[in-house]
Amino acid sequence: MNKKTVITGIGIVSPIGIGHKEFWKNLVSGNSGIAPMESLDLSRYHCKKGAEVKNLKPEEFLGQKGLRYLNKGTKFLASSVKLALDDAKLSIDDEVANQTGILIGSSLGNFSQTTDYFHDIVRENPSELSPMQSYDVALNSSINYASVIYKIKGFARTISSGFTSGIDAIGNAHKLIQNGKANIIIAGGFEQISFDLYMIFLLRKMLAGSNPTDREISMPFDKRRNGFIMSEGSYVFIMEDLEFALSRGAGIYGEISGFATIFAGNKMFHTGKRVEKARAAMEKCLNDANLSLHDVNLINANGNSGDLSDLIEAKAIGELFEKRGKEIPVCAVKSVVGECYGASGAMQTAAAVLSIHNSLIPPTINYEEKDPECDVNITNEKQLRDINTALVNSFDYSGNNSCLVLKKYE
Amino acid sequence: MSRVVITGLGLVIANGIGVKDAWNALVHGKDGAGDVTSFDTSQYKIHRACEVKNFKIDTVFKNETTANTIHKYTYSAAKEALEDSGLHDRTKYNCERFGIAIGTLAGELPPFEFLLRNSPEEKANGFDMNVALTYPPSSITTLLSEDFGFEGPNMVSLNACSSGNHAIAWAYDLLMGGMVDVMLVGGGELIPQTEFTHFHNLKALAPVKCQPFDRDRKGLIIGEGAGIMVMETLDFAKKRGADIYAELMSNGMSCDGHHMTAPHPEGAGAIKAMLDALSEAKLSYKDIDYINAHGTGTPLNDRMETLAIKSVFKERAKDIPVSSIKSMIGHTMGAASAIESVVSCLSIKNNIIPPTINYETPDPECDLDYVPNEGRERKVNCVLNNSFAFGGNNVTNIFSRL
Repeated sequence: MNKKTVITGIGIVSPIGIGHKEFWKNLVSGNSGIAPMESLDLSRYHCKKGAEVKNLKPEEFLGQKGLRYLNKGTKFLASSVKLALDDAKLSIDDEVANQTGILIGSSLGNFSQTTDYFHDIVRENPSELSPMQSYDVALNSSINYASVIYKIKGFARTISSGFTSGIDAIGNAHKLIQNGKANIIIAGGFEQISFDLYMIFLLRKMLAGSNPTDREISMPFDKRRNGFIMSEGSYVFIMEDLEFALSRGAGIYGEISGFATIFAGNKMFHTGKRVEKARAAMEKCLNDANLSLHDVNLINANGNSGDLSDLIEAKAIGELFEKRGKEIPVCAVKSVVGECYGASGAMQTAAAVLSIHNSLIPPTINYEEKDPECDVNITNEKQLRDINTALVNSFDYSGNNSCLVLKKYE
Repeated sequence: MSRVVITGLGLVIANGIGVKDAWNALVHGKDGAGDVTSFDTSQYKIHRACEVKNFKIDTVFKNETTANTIHKYTYSAAKEALEDSGLHDRTKYNCERFGIAIGTLAGELPPFEFLLRNSPEEKANGFDMNVALTYPPSSITTLLSEDFGFEGPNMVSLNACSSGNHAIAWAYDLLMGGMVDVMLVGGGELIPQTEFTHFHNLKALAPVKCQPFDRDRKGLIIGEGAGIMVMETLDFAKKRGADIYAELMSNGMSCDGHHMTAPHPEGAGAIKAMLDALSEAKLSYKDIDYINAHGTGTPLNDRMETLAIKSVFKERAKDIPVSSIKSMIGHTMGAASAIESVVSCLSIKNNIIPPTINYETPDPECDLDYVPNEGRERKVNCVLNNSFAFGGNNVTNIFSRL
């Protein structure tokens, strides 16, 4: 009686390309988006690299009007929604507006605009600031903007659950469609690089090269890994009830068939327990999809080059899949695109569904030295391979473990 | 599909801390507004807010910065709700099936503001590890999950003034679909100066008092606090013999798709949210005994909400009591609809409707029964709770006596 959820459109604004075709081409070629950052003045700090979105011309998608009031993240999101709608050949007319919702995850959204605005409040006379200065500073204002310009009438929801925000939004949307509460949901995640975030991650020593002797490189599961590289972008999907998609003759990239999330607070648990919870999340997700371990033929890993997080993930894969844990291809796209926090789960979902659609696994670049503690099947070459079922892992350092299962639509 | 019930409540609001005091203050129409104390308002034209007063907590915080988070309110209300529900001992349950969803507008901001106020010349100086540990909005729920040992879904809902009802709607779907047994759900807010400024400069703040639906209403009064509920599946509650306040029947969602800050003039989105909630609950407009209104006290919202209620409730519109507790505790933004949901459950339990205070002059455009100034005893079986946010983001929940 449950309905099926399919992906019929993909919209991407990323450091390695605008639109899913360019994203995919660069991803499978291993053309990294990581370079010294241009948008931040980092002359006083030793970590310099990031994966920034370049070459986005938001006026092509949004027009010129009002553009100057929008912050970077809103431009990313609203542009990617347009790309996804066009890709799905869907126009939100009066007939479908009421059945269409938007559900987006973001860990930090417009946080830097908010702190900039507050900076003005404490330095200037706050009652003289223009209301337009706070037009687009709330975390959910980007989603509101998209709902207004695309005339979405079903609902609009922003959720925030740290690095798993994007995948949690997609999982939430899947459940709403499965339970018959919506026919069309625009779901995904977006984030933007800002100085505030840079400082937060630098102070927490989460960035690659936080220790000046370490290399600044994203190399998930590699023995020499020492932190992640910041990234940004927006990754959204047109998700539809299968029957609805078929009735309008939509093209289908793949099916979302399971979702699960388990919290394992890093204060509550030692590493062994966190491995157990990560494993439990994957298992629960497969159960939710009514699939068995043997069905999985690709794992799109959280792997962000973090010392502990990659170890926990690799061990969880090994414990769950046992012997096959060393055989199933594991792909860590953050080696190419970096860690875009709340958007990562959505970025990985895009990579996974395109893997299924194109029967191709992107390379995990920079992978050279195997870590015996991370005994999973990683390769720095792309692989042609038929994929029926892909498991996507999205884990947050503060405790959320969320997983999504994607299937080939046949 | 499982049925979903409410078994525990917790409140921290401007006119009372703890459900008992808060409810007593609400039914007696106690105004929680006062002069802002948490930051200097001398440069503003308006100086009023509904701040939580005399709040004490056996603190888990190490220093002033981290103590300046909404966690103090959400933690306190969550603890009360869990104790109320009888779930304080969770060792015998599978906590992977216990989740948390909290709504906020900008609950993550106050610690940053605290630091930036002290070192305004250089933003980077404002950062230290204490802030880094509390920065992301999701820390609101991860801290609660850690404090209470919950291991299930964990999410912050950031949907401006309908955040609380979005969190409740999300939890409802998880419970109905069988993904979890128990959800700790609600909203929290600690007044950020950023939002005070935002509303102030939009000229949305009232100078002295909040007067929803009054002809001379001048705007909203910003407020803070937390409202938390324990929601669980009916089966789970029955099995453990829990006392039940009410059943959550449905949530209706909509989006105006109209404007970033103004509601749709005819209330199209609000109407859809209410109609969807009624139809999902398989109820008619004749079944509702009380409407807990969004009623912010702004000229636009209250006129629009009245129009929308008339459209949905037709000939009954003038007979159904409609009240706004924002008249007493201010607009607690992301926490508002969660606090109002707690109050809806209390109305069902006690058969009392809290009043709309500061109601002085009827407005020809707002001509419903707003329960003016005095609480009212009346059989309440079914409550409809509206929340409408900037951006036209609407969620309506319906609670019913089991």
